[in-house]
Amino acid sequence: MATAFKTVEPLEYYRRFLKENCRPDGRELGSITTADGSALVKLGNTTVICGIKAELAAPAVDSANKGYIVPNVELPSLCSTRFRSGPPGEEAQAASQFIADVIENSQMIAKEDLCIANGKLAWVLYCDIICLDYDGNILDASAFALLAALKNVQLPSVTINEETGLSEVNLKQKNPLIIRKHPVATSFAIFDDTLLIVDPTAEEEDLATGTVTIVTDDEDRLCSVHKPGGSPLTGAKLQDCITRAITRHKEVKKLIDKVIKSIKPK
Amino acid sequence: MAAPELLSDEGYRADGRRPAELRKVRARMGVFAQADGSAYIEQGNTKALAVVYGPHEMRGSRSKALPDRALVNCQYSMATFSTGERRRRPHGDRQAGELALHLKQTFEAAILTHLYPRSQIDIYVQILQADGGNYCACVNAATLAVMDAGIPMRDYVCACSAGLAEDTPLADRSPEEAAGGPRLVLALLPASGQIALLQLSARLHQERLEAALEAAGQACRALHAVLDRVVRDRLREVTALLGD
Repeated sequence: MATAFKTVEPLEYYRRFLKENCRPDGRELGSITTADGSALVKLGNTTVICGIKAELAAPAVDSANKGYIVPNVELPSLCSTRFRSGPPGEEAQAASQFIADVIENSQMIAKEDLCIANGKLAWVLYCDIICLDYDGNILDASAFALLAALKNVQLPSVTINEETGLSEVNLKQKNPLIIRKHPVATSFAIFDDTLLIVDPTAEEEDLATGTVTIVTDDEDRLCSVHKPGGSPLTGAKLQDCITRAITRHKEVKKLIDKVIKSIKPK
Repeated sequence: MAAPELLSDEGYRADGRRPAELRKVRARMGVFAQADGSAYIEQGNTKALAVVYGPHEMRGSRSKALPDRALVNCQYSMATFSTGERRRRPHGDRQAGELALHLKQTFEAAILTHLYPRSQIDIYVQILQADGGNYCACVNAATLAVMDAGIPMRDYVCACSAGLAEDTPLADRSPEEAAGGPRLVLALLPASGQIALLQLSARLHQERLEAALEAAGQACRALHAVLDRVVRDRLREVTALLGD
């Protein structure tokens, strides 16, 4: 009995859409042209939009050849009645920190690639992730949205004029970002210390006694395991989660590639 | 500094529209599952999202509850990536506060609040891409969202902006045109012709006001036709799913 409920395959159980960010004809949400890269992800009912804005700044003194990536997850009061307006609550801050860790641990973008001129100029990528509809599993959705949006970013080429020392931005020539790794997060909700449900909805999250989030990357490698307290899990169960996360990674990667390919070049 | 050419010799505006022509409007209702009512609208490149929760019990201080009607609570927020320059403060700044207040006052005029005493209706508006006419897109999206939530209203609330180029009134100003000439924002209840909100900035001779107001009114009525069609299509969709 327990095995029947043990884990639920995402494909059969939940509809999952990774909506593309270029819509030539009246489909739901279009690309955000004011952002340098954007993506909308729907995981069942959970809807998350990610917008990336690139700005220029001077690199830090101690890491002169590195740019910055600044993620921010926002859970506004419009996404659910559980969030009040005001400063970001615990969940939003925890999610922001989680995304920052994913970026750092997986090395998905080498910060050196964001550097334009050593010690003088580098790119800052502000990744703003806004949840529009909250139905659980915000971490997975945010990670997918971030990955899809980064793949969509087109940065203009910047050169530093030797004589004046000023930067010249060439908006006509745009290059995509070099994404080295593709981390994918998979979340599980733990019930009664034994049952595991993958991709939980908000109701399931409320009833669960614990959660586990596993981030895997391309070569079936583990990037991070996030288990913030909650009921204890045996090693075997955790290993099971990791195996399922690796399978899911392959499916998600295929979906992202398909969507990116289908975008018409701007 | 020479004012930009708002109207070409043939009578076309900077983006190729005629003076009374609106930008392309696309709208959808019922986009989110969590909210009681939601709507998304695109007017040209401006993309606005409205979400309604309610009517529900008062959150926060019960003492603020009005004994004879519902309290309308609005929040206006612009995404950080919605403008060309990244916005540091999505909400909480003065402009957002002012627009939220305007929204509240506009909808208090339209919603039949006396039907829900001691309760609260929340209207949250989010701008995903700002390209002129932010307030108007918000009002239109919020109207659809309130309808989607099934909250009774006196009438649709349609909002549009207008400007003047010499003597020709221009409907639905785009940001390039915003620089020159007086700016008028109108929120109208189309069936009765009553004005819920009117805002005029820059100097305008009172004789010209009539023309600009008329142009904005016409544009609002045109928008009303579009929004009405969206609501009816949505109703057809929903009843088709429920029926049989």
